[in-house]
Amino acid sequence: MVRPLAEQSYYELLEAAPEGTPQQIERAYRIARATYAPSSTAVYSVFSADECAAILRRIEEAWAVLSDARLRREYDARLRRSEPRPGVPTTPAPPVATLTRERERERERPPAPAPPLRPAAHEADLDASIAPDNGIFDGDVLRRIRVSLGIELEEISATTKINDNHLRAIEGNHYELLPPPVYLRGFLKQYAKCLSLDPNHVADSYTARMRESSARRG
Amino acid sequence: MRRTGTPSWLSTRRGEPALSGRGDDVAVTPPSVARIWAVGGGKGGIGKSFLVANLATVAARSGRRVILIDADLGGANLHTCLGVRAGERVSLSDYFEDRVADLDKVAIETPIPGLRLILGALGHTGKAETTQEQRAQLLRAVRRLPADLVIFDLAAGTDRSTIDFFLEADDGFVVTTPEPTAIENAYSFLRAAFYRRLASALNESNVRELIRVAMDQRNERGIRTPGDLLLAIEQIDRGEAERFRRVLESFRPHLVVNQVRDTEEVKMGFSITSVCKKYFGIDIDYAGYICFDDNVWRSVKDRRPLVLAYPTSDGALYVRRIVKKLLGA
Repeated sequence: MVRPLAEQSYYELLEAAPEGTPQQIERAYRIARATYAPSSTAVYSVFSADECAAILRRIEEAWAVLSDARLRREYDARLRRSEPRPGVPTTPAPPVATLTRERERERERPPAPAPPLRPAAHEADLDASIAPDNGIFDGDVLRRIRVSLGIELEEISATTKINDNHLRAIEGNHYELLPPPVYLRGFLKQYAKCLSLDPNHVADSYTARMRESSARRG
Repeated sequence: MRRTGTPSWLSTRRGEPALSGRGDDVAVTPPSVARIWAVGGGKGGIGKSFLVANLATVAARSGRRVILIDADLGGANLHTCLGVRAGERVSLSDYFEDRVADLDKVAIETPIPGLRLILGALGHTGKAETTQEQRAQLLRAVRRLPADLVIFDLAAGTDRSTIDFFLEADDGFVVTTPEPTAIENAYSFLRAAFYRRLASALNESNVRELIRVAMDQRNERGIRTPGDLLLAIEQIDRGEAERFRRVLESFRPHLVVNQVRDTEEVKMGFSITSVCKKYFGIDIDYAGYICFDDNVWRSVKDRRPLVLAYPTSDGALYVRRIVKKLLGA
C-alpha cells in the first residue's frame, strides 16, 4: 500500500532504491520530474495541474537532499535508525530547509518512514528484459540497454565528458571512428558505469568483438 | 491477476453442474494447468492483436502448447495476424450458441506448430456481446483446455466482458502507445478494472454503493482517488478496508508500451507506472516496450507474425524479451 504523498520518504517520492548510486538517483529524479511536468502526457488525464505542482515540489525537495552527498548521508542515517512500528504513524521526510535544524532535535523525533526494500522499477528492468543472453556487449546491445533505461546519449556525455560523436561511434560499432584503444577502454568503462553495468566486462567484451571484426576484415 | 476477489459471477458458478447440459460442464472443474493471459488496453488500433500474435508465436516456438482466443467479438481480426483465413470456420459464436459443445474442438490449427486459435464471432451472428453466464461458462472451459498458455485478445473499450476476462486472467496486460489518447484510455481501462475488482471483493452493500459512487470521477462525495475511497470505507467498515488493501496489493497488471520511437517514449512506461502508484496506489509491472519498426507493418501486410517474418528486427527482439521475462527461458 503506497502511503500518501506527504508521508512518503524521499526515495519513495523519486521511486529510487535507497542503495542507488548518485547516477541512479539522478536518473530517477529526471524521470520523476519529466513525469509530473506541466507538459507531461503521462499525467494530464489523471492529476490536476495543482496536484502535479504539489508532487513536483516534493520531488524537488527530495532531490535537494539526495543529490547532496552530505545531506543524503544524514538522511540515510535517520532512515536506518527507524523501523516501522505497526500502528504507530510515521512522520514525513523533512523539508530540506529544516534538515540541519532537525538534526539537532532528531533524538526527540518519532521515527522516519522506512525506505522501500525493492529496487526501483527502472533499475530492476535491466536484469530480466535487456541484458544480453550471451554476455557479449557490442554497440547495438549497449544502445538497447541505454534506451531501455530511458537514458539519453547527451546525459552520458554530460556525466562522462565524452564527446557525443565518440559515444555514437561506440553504439554504432563504427570502429574506424573510435579513439586509440587505451582511450577507448576508459570511455567504455565510463559508459558502462552510467548504465550500472560491470565496467571491465563491458570493456573486455566490446574490445574483443572489435578485434574479431578487424581480424575478419584482414 | 486472479489472486483475490474473483469476480462474483464466476466464483459462484465454478464447478457447478452444467446449466445447459453441455458436455464440457458436466464434470467438476479439475485444477487448472493452463496459464491465462489477457491483453487489453482501452483504445483500438494500438497493436493488441499484433502483440498477442507475436507473444503467442514466441511461446509456441519455445515448445509450449498455446491457444489464442479472439475475444474481440465485434471486430475479430487476430486470425489475419497469423495468416489464417476465417471464412466459415468454427468460431466462438458456435460455442456460445451450443453448436459445438467442446471448446477444444473450436480451437483451429494455425501455420505455427503448437499454436491454435479460437476465432472471434465475426461473420457468424454479428453478436458482439456475451451474457455473464456465457462468460462464466467459457472461463470454466478455458481452464480445462489442453494447453500451457491461453491468451485472450480483448476488445477495445471497457465493457463488462472485456474487464471480466482481464480480471480472470493470471496475467493481465495493458497495452498503450505513447500518444495521449492511448494513455488516457489505458488509465480508464485500469480504473475500470480496479474498481470492478474492488466491487467483487468487498461484500457490504453500503461499501459497494460507495464504490459505485466513486467510479464517477465527478461524484458529490469528493472521492477522487482510491486513497480517498479507502478513507471513506475505513469510516464504514474496517474489515472491508482491510480487504481493500489486499486488493490493492494483489492487483498488478503488466504494462506494454507499443510503437516507441525514442528514449523519451521509453520513459513513458516508467511515468505511467509512477502515476499508477501515486494515483491508484498500485504497483504496475512495466513488462516492456516494442519499438516502432517498419517491419511491423510489413509483417502485418504479409499476414505473418513479426517474430517469424523478421526475427532479427528490433521489434521481434523486444517481443521475445517480454515473453522471457514473463515465462522464463
